[in-house]
Amino acid sequence: MSASRQQIRFTVNGREAVVSAYPMARLLDVLRNDLALTGTKEGCGEGECGSCSVLLDGELVNSCLVPVLQVHGADVQTVEGFASEALHPVQKAFLECGGAQCGICTPGMIVATVNLLRNHPKPTMEQIREGLNGNLCRCTGYTRIFEAVRSAAEQVPAEALERPTRAKESSR
Amino acid sequence: MRSNPSSYELIAPGTLDAVLGLMAKEPGAWTPVAGGTEVMVQFGAGKLMPTRLISIRDIAELRGITETAEELHIGAGCSYADLRRHTTLSAEFPLLNTAASWTGSIANQNRGTLGGNIVNASPAADSLPALLVYEADLVLVSTRGVRRVRYVDFHTAYKKTLLAPDELIRTIILTRRYAGWISSARKVGPRNAQAIAKLCMAALVQTTGSQVHEIRIAFGSMAPVPLRLSNTESVLNNVTLNEEVIRAARRALESEVSPIDDIRSTRAYRVAVAGNLLEEFLRSLMTNGDDTLARWNRFPEEDAAKEILSCCGSTVWARAMAAARPFKDATGLSIRASEIWRGLSADEWLEAFRSHPRIGQRHAERETTTTSTKWSAGEQSNVTGSDDKVKRAIAEGNRQYEERFDRIFIVCATGKEPAEILKNLEHRLANDKITELQESATHQEEIMQLRLRKWLAPEGGA
Amino acid sequence: MVGVSVPRKEGAPKVTGTAQYVDDLSFEGMIYGATVRSTIARGRITKIEFDGNIPWDEFVIVTAKDVPGKNVVSLITDDQPILAETQINHPEEPILLLAHKDRHLLPLAVAAVKIEYDELPSVHSIEDSERCQEVVWGTDNIFKTYTIDKGNVDEVWKDAAWIVEGEYTTGAQEQLYIENNGVIAQWSEQDGVTVWGSMQCPFYVHKALIALTGLPAEKVRVLQTETGGAFGGKEDYPSIIAGHAVLLAKKAGVPVKIVYDRMEDMAATTKRHPSRTRHRTAVDKDGRLLGAEIEFVIDGGAYATLSPVVLSRGTIHAGGPYYWPSIRVRSKAVATNTPPHGAFRGFGAPQSLFALERHMDYVARTIGLAPDEFRRRNLLRPGQTTATAQEIREPIDMQHLLDRALELSDYHAKTALFAKTNANSSKKKGLGIAAFLHGAGFTGSGERYLNALVGVEANERGDVRVLVSSTEFGQGTNTILCQIAAETLGLEYDDISMAPIDTHVVPNSGPTVASRTAMIIGKLVQTAAIEMRQKLVDAGLLGEDTGREAFRAACGEYTQTIGRLNGCGRYQAPPNVYWDDAKYMGEAYPAFGWAVYVAEVTVDMTTYSVTVDDFVALQEVGRVLHPVLAAGQIEGGVAQGIGYALYENIVWNKGRMLNNQMTNYIMPTSQDLPPIRVYFEEVPYAYGPYGAKGIGELPMDGPAPAILNAVVAATGMEFRSIPLLPEDIFTALAVSHKEHGVAV
Repeated sequence: MSASRQQIRFTVNGREAVVSAYPMARLLDVLRNDLALTGTKEGCGEGECGSCSVLLDGELVNSCLVPVLQVHGADVQTVEGFASEALHPVQKAFLECGGAQCGICTPGMIVATVNLLRNHPKPTMEQIREGLNGNLCRCTGYTRIFEAVRSAAEQVPAEALERPTRAKESSR
Repeated sequence: MRSNPSSYELIAPGTLDAVLGLMAKEPGAWTPVAGGTEVMVQFGAGKLMPTRLISIRDIAELRGITETAEELHIGAGCSYADLRRHTTLSAEFPLLNTAASWTGSIANQNRGTLGGNIVNASPAADSLPALLVYEADLVLVSTRGVRRVRYVDFHTAYKKTLLAPDELIRTIILTRRYAGWISSARKVGPRNAQAIAKLCMAALVQTTGSQVHEIRIAFGSMAPVPLRLSNTESVLNNVTLNEEVIRAARRALESEVSPIDDIRSTRAYRVAVAGNLLEEFLRSLMTNGDDTLARWNRFPEEDAAKEILSCCGSTVWARAMAAARPFKDATGLSIRASEIWRGLSADEWLEAFRSHPRIGQRHAERETTTTSTKWSAGEQSNVTGSDDKVKRAIAEGNRQYEERFDRIFIVCATGKEPAEILKNLEHRLANDKITELQESATHQEEIMQLRLRKWLAPEGGA
Repeated sequence: MVGVSVPRKEGAPKVTGTAQYVDDLSFEGMIYGATVRSTIARGRITKIEFDGNIPWDEFVIVTAKDVPGKNVVSLITDDQPILAETQINHPEEPILLLAHKDRHLLPLAVAAVKIEYDELPSVHSIEDSERCQEVVWGTDNIFKTYTIDKGNVDEVWKDAAWIVEGEYTTGAQEQLYIENNGVIAQWSEQDGVTVWGSMQCPFYVHKALIALTGLPAEKVRVLQTETGGAFGGKEDYPSIIAGHAVLLAKKAGVPVKIVYDRMEDMAATTKRHPSRTRHRTAVDKDGRLLGAEIEFVIDGGAYATLSPVVLSRGTIHAGGPYYWPSIRVRSKAVATNTPPHGAFRGFGAPQSLFALERHMDYVARTIGLAPDEFRRRNLLRPGQTTATAQEIREPIDMQHLLDRALELSDYHAKTALFAKTNANSSKKKGLGIAAFLHGAGFTGSGERYLNALVGVEANERGDVRVLVSSTEFGQGTNTILCQIAAETLGLEYDDISMAPIDTHVVPNSGPTVASRTAMIIGKLVQTAAIEMRQKLVDAGLLGEDTGREAFRAACGEYTQTIGRLNGCGRYQAPPNVYWDDAKYMGEAYPAFGWAVYVAEVTVDMTTYSVTVDDFVALQEVGRVLHPVLAAGQIEGGVAQGIGYALYENIVWNKGRMLNNQMTNYIMPTSQDLPPIRVYFEEVPYAYGPYGAKGIGELPMDGPAPAILNAVVAATGMEFRSIPLLPEDIFTALAVSHKEHGVAV
């Protein structure tokens, strides 16, 4: 028994995307292979490392665990959606504070950080640790990532935490 | 990624009726997928046997939490994040709220559903013991109709449940009758997040002092199913707690549970730790009447932090103290208070300093608690009552101190003559900034210890 | 510039998600490869069948017969085949390779290859290997031995006031870089072999591919892609995955990409060597070390690979930062039927230093001295010699490091406090110390043998490019080498870039291992830059003391009128570095990093779990070139050390790793680690660039013994094995209570 590909429509980083994909294709693979958005990474394929983190309808999720059929009509934000001409303040903070070493966990960390700051604009240490508890980093020991989050919290204006508006309406 | 997506069918009919209709047409042929945190892990590992999947993530009837005066109705499709956000649920069902915060990571809480966890029926799931002790009911639906079953009956054997092949869980019902009950949730895992429990406990009890009226205890990972410990409960119901009863309860627990050796832990460890957790919980209930410390031990964490804040104006300290409960006695409390105080950062110390009025004045620079203000007045009574010359000298000294160190002069004034305070002030004016910060912190620590004693034994005095 | 925390050179692509890791790359016509591996530990293949519902005619299939050159992973001993022919020596040993254009078909195809074996008895522990009931490698299961013999060990026992013995063991540890191993290979008759991949040592891969293919050096080209963590796990393993991709690409005629998933990477690739160390120590009545016999054994797995070198470093570090008038270290690396163990940050030293620092605490308690006081009486001073009789010529002051670490951790006050409070508390607290050193650079004559070569070149605008084979994988190679070049030439940081790591472009400056990059390669970059600048001076285009504009103008003139402008640096050993390979004595390393770490723990006697509450990491590392990067290295290394001590357990079953997933191989999350407080002392090292020494591996040595020493202080119970799990603490308590007749 095999499935057939379907048209899945959703928005990615504010722009409409239409892919022809198997319904059980992982959102992670659709982003990387069909849409050439390779910023989102695969580290474990089991929802433990968080390097595949994206925002799905504004919520932090592991894209390796999302079947693309469930993304139909939804809004996806990946790391590529945060920098336009200049670096997003969170990205800038990661650069300045040494929050990125090998960089493979960094896209997921940045997405998780944006999500954290949207929910807790001035997070306590406890909230920072919890907000990033699904993003594993093997290089930094998290210390400078926490600093980057604190620094971003101090510098990020409210507008930078807003979701980018859709380029055009898509039908559900 | 070890599965081939082209070999899997996934459909999303979009309404509950449509889903149930398909499941009735071919019972057992369709495997429901909600958030996917279980199915997609198996899929990625190449271990997903069912190849025909039906998405129930977008079914409106399965989401949402409604409340009546008596009950809370939780849609089976609610995510753990939904549960944590719900005010009534967090306030009245703390065991479930806590278990939700322990499940996976933030990202997995956004996708994983309570219904999904129940149906997956892993004995290790964090939230299932909570449902057992709250004696939840489940509403199961199919085209044949609706039935309400008790959750305690739902798991029949390892990964086997009452759910028929054409049925879905629609709602989880909790009865709102646990105001005033004391609860304790504990999870023991290999790390603090993203951990499958080695064991977890949910305990709920109604007591008057050390007298137990009704107790409910459930464990995860201690049996092939999430387990209510009814034998252990019967040892404890309607008895007054003492050491002998606690030992008997532990023995009952040991014979009632049947954990195994597996990749995560061992049988012997699980039995021992489960017994330890039970004893710790029961001991926390044993009180000598209703003394302050025992009551404070049982406060919800936010309230506990607020209550103890008066003793030392650092919010970080207060929260850490609240998190370090329960305390067996005043000595333990006092030791931990000093430890935490000494571990704070300079900024956190400064916050505490700002909660005091200037020595010789009545009001602190920032808002503080009424208790703190009252205590400050008492501590500084010697100075406020002293003669004008000394008062003026102290005021002048304060001004110089503030100019030099950019904060007010902190001194443990209780029992000290004003002249002594003045001498201390003059001496410390000569300190370098680092030494002075340390010295201020030491005085603040003394003040804190005095206030802790006053708080625990108000009639006894300083 | 140097000593300033400039932005990471390749930081912007990393934070925007545009950095290109190997799995982000796709080439025209590229297909995907996968590996069929052994499911037994030892035996012979009797049958291979291609089963079931797979369109096998669409697949490219490669066996050992397809190897054009030598069927070997060329490294040191050359005993490991790239593909097994008939003999199997470990689970997951590669047997066959498959390739197909549909990536999703591969796992099912791999599962459909049915292999039958004649199984042989296998060996799965150091003790089993030593028994030699089964000889699974060579004639005696021993890959390598070393002996260090200083002074007169056999005479010390009679004068000893105390003789203290102890045995200490460490488990395997998975590097767990978040980016799995991956590679893309291409073969053309005209250009030869090209490989892109995640790796630390492009010239190791280059050498291995020459042996495998039989091609000449200029027909083998290796490029490093952005590498998502390595820690030693991508030192030698990439030669294997690259060899596999090359064999498939040759047969397929199109590029082939192999990227492991997490389960395969954990099960099949290298891990830290498990170890067993036995100490026998003689101490005089004043608490001074008289001598020791140390036996240090590591489990190398099924093939020699890097074990001789890991053993070497572990052996040399076995005596730690103490003065031993006499000491004998006997060490060996033994074979078992496990996937070969390999490099992991520290490379043998974390193992032997764990044993030493645990033992020093045990000796202290046995003879009645406080752990800090006992160390104080024995720490090396300048002018004294190490276990290999290397004289300490640096003005290192370990007494001061110890004092400062104890102060920073509030060691004495807290130890006294906890001694009082532990009795009545179910949460027992304690502090533990570890004092240690870590040699930077290759051992002994290693650097001479590597003979590293480094280049710099300038274009007409005066932009400068650094050419090295030293790779970036998060530790900051690109950043510090550009800083050094900028500082040396008086330029701005942005004027300098790194040449792509491409064996056709860059010289062989050796592997990116052994904490050698800052100290050795950095120095060579400085040398090369000075040589290049001197060319401008000699050409009369630049005075001795001019700034950036003058330099850039001079480059313009030189390149237009004279030709290519570059400089190179070839390794030169510092003076007075003599190493006797036969006796294993002399200057083992050109320089050491020195450290004292203190851990504070809570042992929860309800759950038997250990939490690290505070961690002080104080080290002397020469000059700190980049404060943020340096601190980041220490923080990351300490985090891995905490994992090594308390969390990272491998569940083995006959050489197979059962918990080969991130859900059940436990590394610390953001909610598990204490504040890691990092402090540096700087005693500039004369032969390092601007005084720098190596620091990458140093932080791996201290955390595990410091933490276990703290647990011992908290509980009063001896623990000598890592990882130390709550179940182990519970078992030890249950045993001790049984012995004392107490109900647990």
